[in-house]
Amino acid sequence: MDTTNRLKQVADLLLEISSLLMVSGANTNRVDLNIDRFASVLNCESFSLISQKTIILTVVDIKTGENYTKVKNLPSHKIDFTILSLISKASWNAIDQDWSLSRIRNEIKSLKDQKRYPRIVVLIAVSFAGAGFCKIFGGDYLNLLVAFISTFFGLLMLQETHRRLFNVYINVFLASLTASTIASLGVYFNLGTQPEAALATSILFLVPGVALINSFSDLLDKNVLNGMVRFANGVMTVLAMALGLFIAMLIFELK
Amino acid sequence: MIETILNILEISIWAGIAAVGFGILFNIPKKAILTVFLLGFGAGFIKTFLLHFQINIVLASLVSASFVGLLSIPLAHSIHQPPVVFSIPAVIPMIPGFYAYETVLSIMSFTFLEKDDAKRLVFMDAIFSNGFTMLFILISLSIGVSLPLLLLRKDTVKKIEN
Repeated sequence: MDTTNRLKQVADLLLEISSLLMVSGANTNRVDLNIDRFASVLNCESFSLISQKTIILTVVDIKTGENYTKVKNLPSHKIDFTILSLISKASWNAIDQDWSLSRIRNEIKSLKDQKRYPRIVVLIAVSFAGAGFCKIFGGDYLNLLVAFISTFFGLLMLQETHRRLFNVYINVFLASLTASTIASLGVYFNLGTQPEAALATSILFLVPGVALINSFSDLLDKNVLNGMVRFANGVMTVLAMALGLFIAMLIFELK
Repeated sequence: MIETILNILEISIWAGIAAVGFGILFNIPKKAILTVFLLGFGAGFIKTFLLHFQINIVLASLVSASFVGLLSIPLAHSIHQPPVVFSIPAVIPMIPGFYAYETVLSIMSFTFLEKDDAKRLVFMDAIFSNGFTMLFILISLSIGVSLPLLLLRKDTVKKIEN
């Protein structure tokens, strides 16, 4: 009875950690590695089936051979590399200092309260990234300004719609429509030398880069199912972006 | 010549800025910001430099993503962060957004707008060449980012078994 109770707590903790990693944008292999490290500290072996929305995990007590299986549904994904970094550090510290179950639980709890960057900082940083993309595609500084402004309002739209809990692809579509409408004004009034570069780059902040990169690194690891799911999610996002852009171009009759 | 180098440097600096912008969107730790900037700058420099010598964009992306991946191994040890934290934001400026844009626009024009068969053939060509370039660049980028994992897998597992 005692072992079962302990195994239950271990399973809860490991599921909590794997779900945090998964929604923060870790690839499947990273989740596996971290879980194995924590399980080895707790004298258990773990076997898991990881998908984008659900994780099934079995823990086996190494000494008694008792096992416990549990399923957890994942919350919606929100990329957060600070959490990846902190969990990875915690897993190494746990091995070095042989942490107990309650110590690990407290550490994981404390890292969930990590602050994100303030909203305005994110807005400005991403807008600069949009301007940077425009420069890479050969825009001049007037085009960069257009890309900056359209990225800014596009991301603002994304954040606002995200709060209202619409479907995520509708959010992406609205953000893409906003950004490309503003950038289309640049093409319409022929601002700068390469207004098309500003239009093409205004929506790039929406590109699902993490999903696509993780998709291929999962495929390289032979986690084919997760790789395909991530790729499909990425493609859906790209289609939503393209739809927004297409409608903006129809409105301004651009070709 | 000097003008070309200055131009490449300017583009690389913007690549670094773009990398940091995405890093902040992904909430990277504050300590990693400078590293991300330098990696993004280095990757942008190598890619623009190679492109300047007419090297295929897929190969250029593979080389600069591998640069990021390889350099992220020693960096991960020196600033105590897992490699993905700074390797993913650093390669994001190389995401083939422009090819994706061209592919999708060609698909839209092919399907909805163009009726003339000769012009549709041109769009068909654009869909395939841009689409596959995009796919191969994406694969190159993820190979680059995965290099530390692909190369060091055994080491990490060994540490766990001890």
